[in-house]
Amino acid sequence: MSDLSQITTHTSRLLRDPRLAWAMIVLLTLSAMASATELGGYLVFILALAAINLIVGVGLNILFGLCGQISFGHIGFFALGAYGVGIAMLGGWSFWLALPAAALLGAVAGGLLALPALRVSGPYLAMMTIAFAFIVEHGAIEWRSVTGGQNGLMGFMAPEFFGRPFFEMEMAILASFFAGLSLLFFHRLARGRWGMAMRAVSISEIAAQSVGLDPLRLKTVAFILSAALAAIAGGLFTPLQGFISPGTFPFFQSILFLLAVVVGGAGTLLGPLIGIAITVVLPEMLSSLAEYRLLFFGGLMLGVLLAAPRGVAGIFLRALMRDEGTPVRPSERPLAEVIARQAASQPLRVEGLSIAFGGVQAARDVGFTAEPGRVTSVIGPNGAGKTTVLNMIGGFYRPDAGSIRLGQELAGRPAWAAARAGIARTYQTTQLFEHLSVIDNLLVAAAGGRLGFLLGPPPDAPARERAEALLAFVGYSGPVGREAGALPHVDRRLVEIARALAMGPRVLLLDEPAAGLGKADKDALAGLLRRIAEAGIAVVLVEHDMGLVMGVSDHVVVLDAGTPIAAGTPGEVRSNAEVRRAYLGDTDYPGRPRTAPWAGERVAVLTTHRLTAGYGAAPVLEAVETTVNPGETVAVLGANGAGKSTMLRSIAGLHRPISGSVLLNDREMSRAEAHKIAAAGLALVPEGRQVFPELSVRDNILLGAHTRYDVDTEAEIEALLTHFPRLRDRISSQAGVLSGGEQQMLAIARGLIAKPRILLLDEPSLGLAPAMVRELYDALADLRDEGVTILLVDQMATLALAVADRGYVLEGGRVVKEGPAASLGADSDIEKAYLGAAE
Amino acid sequence: MIVSTLITGLGLGAMYGLLALGFHVTYAVSKTVNFSQGSSMMVGAVLGYTFGVTLGWPMPLAVIAALLGCAVLGLVVERCLVRPFADRGSDLWLMATVAGGIVIDNVVLFTFGKEPRSLPSTLATEPVDVFGAGAFPLQLIIPVVGLAIAAALTLVQRRTKMGKAMLATVQRPDAARLMGINTRMVIAGAFALSTVFAGIAGLLIAPLFNVSSGMGVIFGIKAFATAILGGITSAWGCVIAGLLYGCVEALTTAYLGSSYTQIVSFSLVILVLVTLPNGLFGHGEIKKV
Repeated sequence: MSDLSQITTHTSRLLRDPRLAWAMIVLLTLSAMASATELGGYLVFILALAAINLIVGVGLNILFGLCGQISFGHIGFFALGAYGVGIAMLGGWSFWLALPAAALLGAVAGGLLALPALRVSGPYLAMMTIAFAFIVEHGAIEWRSVTGGQNGLMGFMAPEFFGRPFFEMEMAILASFFAGLSLLFFHRLARGRWGMAMRAVSISEIAAQSVGLDPLRLKTVAFILSAALAAIAGGLFTPLQGFISPGTFPFFQSILFLLAVVVGGAGTLLGPLIGIAITVVLPEMLSSLAEYRLLFFGGLMLGVLLAAPRGVAGIFLRALMRDEGTPVRPSERPLAEVIARQAASQPLRVEGLSIAFGGVQAARDVGFTAEPGRVTSVIGPNGAGKTTVLNMIGGFYRPDAGSIRLGQELAGRPAWAAARAGIARTYQTTQLFEHLSVIDNLLVAAAGGRLGFLLGPPPDAPARERAEALLAFVGYSGPVGREAGALPHVDRRLVEIARALAMGPRVLLLDEPAAGLGKADKDALAGLLRRIAEAGIAVVLVEHDMGLVMGVSDHVVVLDAGTPIAAGTPGEVRSNAEVRRAYLGDTDYPGRPRTAPWAGERVAVLTTHRLTAGYGAAPVLEAVETTVNPGETVAVLGANGAGKSTMLRSIAGLHRPISGSVLLNDREMSRAEAHKIAAAGLALVPEGRQVFPELSVRDNILLGAHTRYDVDTEAEIEALLTHFPRLRDRISSQAGVLSGGEQQMLAIARGLIAKPRILLLDEPSLGLAPAMVRELYDALADLRDEGVTILLVDQMATLALAVADRGYVLEGGRVVKEGPAASLGADSDIEKAYLGAAE
Repeated sequence: MIVSTLITGLGLGAMYGLLALGFHVTYAVSKTVNFSQGSSMMVGAVLGYTFGVTLGWPMPLAVIAALLGCAVLGLVVERCLVRPFADRGSDLWLMATVAGGIVIDNVVLFTFGKEPRSLPSTLATEPVDVFGAGAFPLQLIIPVVGLAIAAALTLVQRRTKMGKAMLATVQRPDAARLMGINTRMVIAGAFALSTVFAGIAGLLIAPLFNVSSGMGVIFGIKAFATAILGGITSAWGCVIAGLLYGCVEALTTAYLGSSYTQIVSFSLVILVLVTLPNGLFGHGEIKKV
């Protein structure tokens, strides 16, 4: 076995050697040119046609394979080139002048179409390109004085080269030559910075922007290149064919071009070559079956899309390219030297930052200064607007007001501009370039949007060494060539941080970097953050793990409901009364406990047994055991990120658990779909209310009864309105215009009308004004007293415990404590879980 | 001249609007569309012809059977060509449905035959007089049917349980599931509905044009242009844009010549997309990071 794997490793290394690709292309081109002199008559024509198609294919491979953009209109550029050359030649131009002119025409048309087309995507872009192809086709029909209309153009003089006329054979040689050139062009482009950047954009535009790449610019360049190549191919087609008319360029040909790239293997060097062999050469060999050609192509395209999205070349490459390169070598180089950042750069100054989404003020007047060399943390309860602030600083949201200064004003600038100004960031859910190798992820970022010459060389050895040193610095020790998508969770976090550092940033924004990490990894992360700060970078941390925040921060800013409520050292912040109130919900209202202790039957309505759930590789919830009895109200407590919401979502079927079971009235539900679980009698009132904004309040409530067929509509709505009198006046309004508190009541009413066996509430008090919280909790206490079974998750621990009979405390995805609500309320451990240990 | 041009335009436009409405219903619930809508329309016409003429079934039965066939086609398209890609977050459904359309067209070509045939209809034999212009009753009925279907769709969505479940799926898919709504079924249903709309369009225009395997291609593309023009997120936008598009097309054909039709109408699409990226009546979505 090890022999075999050695052989494949060596083969793949050999195959990956760029010189091999060069040699292969040159050899193929020469043999195509040589065979043109040997083949007779029709075969030469087919060879020339294949070469011409290959040029278009390579162009589309740049656009679709590298940049991920689909065009159904490339026949338009092909026709543009063909007519351009034809018209110019009939006007007395030399072919050698007409061809570059046609390429230029294609490029200009491509650019003009790309700019508006690429701002949109998906079906919109497809429509633009289709429209373009039709306009070209019908322009050719209608502009008779120039294009000859339906009759077309003919009678071109054969191009001459030093007195030698170019007929079929010579044209085949010429086309093969250009096809070879285009392959070399692709090879060089794909390996260089531009190619990598295009791949990055096609994998994740968000991540691409945050390393300084401007997706619109890259997509436009790809579009222009592919349009120019299609036009060149068209220009070669005219003298070869000797006759062109609108019918020569049917719309359907666009799809065949695309088919060739998809079938062959989009994004691979030889994909289009294989694709052309199938779409051009094969039908000629099976000419007796010509009428089934389209059926065959359609079926083939479907088959490839469904079964082998990477195409023929992709299958081979996958089999051969198992080599993941060498593991990262340890490095002793200090970070400041690796990223060559001078000390004492300017601080990041944020002032008066505000933004509202559809009337909801997500951040109001947020300001702080992040000094270089220090760790500044932004904390706050769920929904406080922390990520929103990061998104404004990172350029993804345009603030309504305020200033972001890092040497220059950055407020309102796009994300890639913020990145180029020196702001790097990581994401709550890691945003790696999944299909790029680990080291390429860093190399893309290292270019920082400065891509240089289009066909510039790939990143050199020192650049690779720097990238490797960064990987060593963050503590990644896996192979450098591994595909980022295959990394385990911890490594994803580390590589993302290394990628951010590769930009040589002045500021590093981290959004929940510790989410999903174990204790040891969190400790390592804390050390890493300190070392990054020591290298002179301003580190801005948004994090739920209070132990981590309090341990590494020099300065802490606390947000609540979008507004800064405190700032200072970790010690100052922890003892701040307002902060404690925000986190623990010490409202003045104590909540209304049961008058007599609950004494119902212990025959569980809901049981979770060893419930484990997570996102990707990281478990957020581990082996959670809970029980809720009929008529009981149970609270689940824990800090942000402890896994409370994940627990409710897993129980309700919105998130598929990894393992463990969920029993609802003794029926196993952990594999059931959410709508089946709802029909079985479980109602989740989700975090953020999730009312249907464009439906009326009444319709919202009635949707809650979707699975019931015995609803006495009027009476039941009336009963709910007595619980939530506020909704009565609003019954015909659209739910979207309700206030947060009204929406929360509506969401609960919508859950109740299902007559559920158990009602799950996820953060009902989140973002509500104190008076609203009081009203809401009174209504909950009423429901409890009426015998509704409730499982309640709320940030406001004291309040939740006041109405609950029992409680569970989650920490790091595990149940660390359970017991009667009264005893948990007095427990200082709760405070520790929420605010971090005071040492 | 102008009257008969407008009648033609509104008739064509209503067909574009119907197909565009099909794009709208699937896009609204799943952010995907069936790019072979033109083929669905053709299948409607071909099945209608096969049941009604070849097999000699009574016309109402033939129409119902044809539309049922279209619904099944829609379910198959969703299950085989869209869901596999949408589930893994890829937008290759775009190409898959295009390829699917090619396959459908060609399968019909080899089973139904190559010669275009005309579907006889009593509504398209005797022209009636409309403000001095001659038009078949069918031509007058088509826009009415188009608008009626759009109105019916709106009514069904606002008034029936199934319709509200659909709106709920559009607005908050996860919350809809929490209400016990099977959102996958809603999406599959939307695809069936969209091919039924296309089938109705095919049956309506079959008596005016010839029935053949290739009849839907250009129609489908123009209907998509219409949907984009009107704003694919707006049902009425799709229908109104369809009528506008049909009239622009008919007027261009009448006053400039048939080949300018495509140039003018497709330039219009590009122009609208450049100036109003969400179409005339559509609305954008907030991007979340």
